[in-house]
Amino acid sequence: MTGSGGVRSALSSLAPALTLVAAVLLFWAIAPDRPLGLLDLRTILIQTVIVATVGLGMTLVIVSGGIDLSVGSAVALSGVVAAKVMNADLGPSAQSWQPALALLAACGAGALCGAYNGLLHTLLGLPAFIVTLGTLGFFRGAAKWISDSSPVYSKPGWLAEWVAPIPSVPWLVVAPAVWLLLALAVVAAVLMHRTVFGRHAVAIGSNEEAARRAGVPVRWVKLRVYAICGLCVGLAGVMQFARLGGSGDPTVQVGLELRAIAAVVIGGASLTGGTASIFGTLCGALLMALLDNRSTALGWPNYVQELLVGHIIIAAVALDRFRGRRFS
Amino acid sequence: MTITRRSVWRVLSCVAVLLAAQGCEKPADKTSAAKGDGGKPAALRIAVVPKGTTHEYWQSIHAGAKQAERELKGVEITFRGPQKEDDRDQQVSLVETLVSSKYDAIVLAPLDSRALLAPVRMARAAKIPVVIMDSGLDGTVGEDFISYIATDNKAGGAMAGKKLGELVGGKGKVLLLRYQEGSASTALREEGFVEAIRAFPGIELIDPKRYAGATRETAQQAAENLLTTHSDIAGVFCPNESSTYGMLLALRARNMAGKIPFIGFDSARELVDALAAGEVSALTVQNPIRMGYLSVKAAVDHIRGGTVEPLMDTGVALITKETMNTPEHKNLLSPDLKSLLGTP
Repeated sequence: MTGSGGVRSALSSLAPALTLVAAVLLFWAIAPDRPLGLLDLRTILIQTVIVATVGLGMTLVIVSGGIDLSVGSAVALSGVVAAKVMNADLGPSAQSWQPALALLAACGAGALCGAYNGLLHTLLGLPAFIVTLGTLGFFRGAAKWISDSSPVYSKPGWLAEWVAPIPSVPWLVVAPAVWLLLALAVVAAVLMHRTVFGRHAVAIGSNEEAARRAGVPVRWVKLRVYAICGLCVGLAGVMQFARLGGSGDPTVQVGLELRAIAAVVIGGASLTGGTASIFGTLCGALLMALLDNRSTALGWPNYVQELLVGHIIIAAVALDRFRGRRFS
Repeated sequence: MTITRRSVWRVLSCVAVLLAAQGCEKPADKTSAAKGDGGKPAALRIAVVPKGTTHEYWQSIHAGAKQAERELKGVEITFRGPQKEDDRDQQVSLVETLVSSKYDAIVLAPLDSRALLAPVRMARAAKIPVVIMDSGLDGTVGEDFISYIATDNKAGGAMAGKKLGELVGGKGKVLLLRYQEGSASTALREEGFVEAIRAFPGIELIDPKRYAGATRETAQQAAENLLTTHSDIAGVFCPNESSTYGMLLALRARNMAGKIPFIGFDSARELVDALAAGEVSALTVQNPIRMGYLSVKAAVDHIRGGTVEPLMDTGVALITKETMNTPEHKNLLSPDLKSLLGTP
């Protein structure tokens, strides 16, 4: 991917963004009388946040050659944890800092879920697909167990401000959660490309055996990759909690794993590891939210959107295979 | 740091493109508004948001909404549910998108009485009237939304409980398969049913708090598990269409269908056939067509300056094999959805 391939690789790394622009233009051409307004943009962005936040972690997992199917369940579990913490009676002075505590607890719960995946994967040497397929059920069950099988209602406190599509501070333009996502994306990109840990993760995804022989502490790196993914999931769980008006819903986000993986794959990642792009993942998540928004704005029935998204994912993977053949 | 900087730049450029696209589309908006629909004022776009799109119940709501569309003239219905049946987060997103897409009114069956409050208030802030149907919302009628149109679910559950108690002769074990965690309308039916059954001292209520889940498949599994543990039951009640159908399949598989009293809720073609065959003793049915119709009519009346009742009950009926062929019950049980929806 260097030298003469530089231009091509630059082009291919811009492909997700170009797809996004093409989609915007296409919808504009289909329905010029239903343009994207500022409010559309705001809702598209806030609706991207949960998938994209999880997508950041998923990008790291996928670039290291792994997969995490348990993220949807773990988001529900973290959301329930946040609601439980918000419901704890910590006295009247707690109002200002209790949401922060809920945030920390949910992120902690998410990170624990991720670390548990990582431990099972590395210690038992089982494929990540199997481990996380198992914990997909386990985390969902745990969420239902601690919530007594029904939504835990509480107050979101100032967390509600974070995910309000129209922020109360006008100069922010979009929800604070969107800015947080962008900041996290920068951190994730630095982590993936500019740190020893990130390069180790990519090396493991490219060729695990070679990485091992080169002295990469494979298990330790993988464990951290899953824990970091869990941290992102925990954060997404808090956002979910806030978006549901302060309720921890144990049944929410069934199938989130597939949308997060789709975002990563549309973003140009290879499911066999070694290649992925944080920026691409953001574009992938945005593209799905855009399709959702436009299908609604144009009054298309639900199934039209499913037909479309299905084929966009297939097209993205086909493109990935095609590129892989050319460059390998 | 080159890559980082490049990443940031790319994200910003992507946002910029979206903004630019929005900017240059504004003139198009004006021209189309001026043009209207060939000189006529543009039709009122009313979005109808069910909890899901595949249940026959929601299709009946759709049919009622379509009926209102035909009768009221100058109205265009968009029927759109959360992409995944019963997903609260997706319904929140959907309502937000309907608001940003500037629909003229939204008719909503909220999946959650609290989670949908924020997007409904967003609609109010954007001056888009909302009618709540089927299940309640923790807001204020007349302020957050203009009207609440629903079935008295608790009365429906109680009606079923009383009938089932009579059918089993006031004694024995009666099984309740609950529908779904956190679903307000079915929880009320279950509550009404449980209260009515408690009035029979000889009946033991088997209520293991097992939930059927969102689909017929999950309901069938839950029902099979329950029937394996409780094979000596005298009667069964299920609080909605999918749980009733799942239970029916499980009863058939155990050769118990038609041998014990079984009361379901809502109607579907298979359930009507089972009612005729005596496998289901009675169906408690709502009037979803009327609900869909009244909800859309309320939204349109409000926009056109009429007065709208803040609360409307659309009623329940208990239908047995004997009454199922009366014209009134027949229309409730198996409405001609195809012709009502206008599909050939």
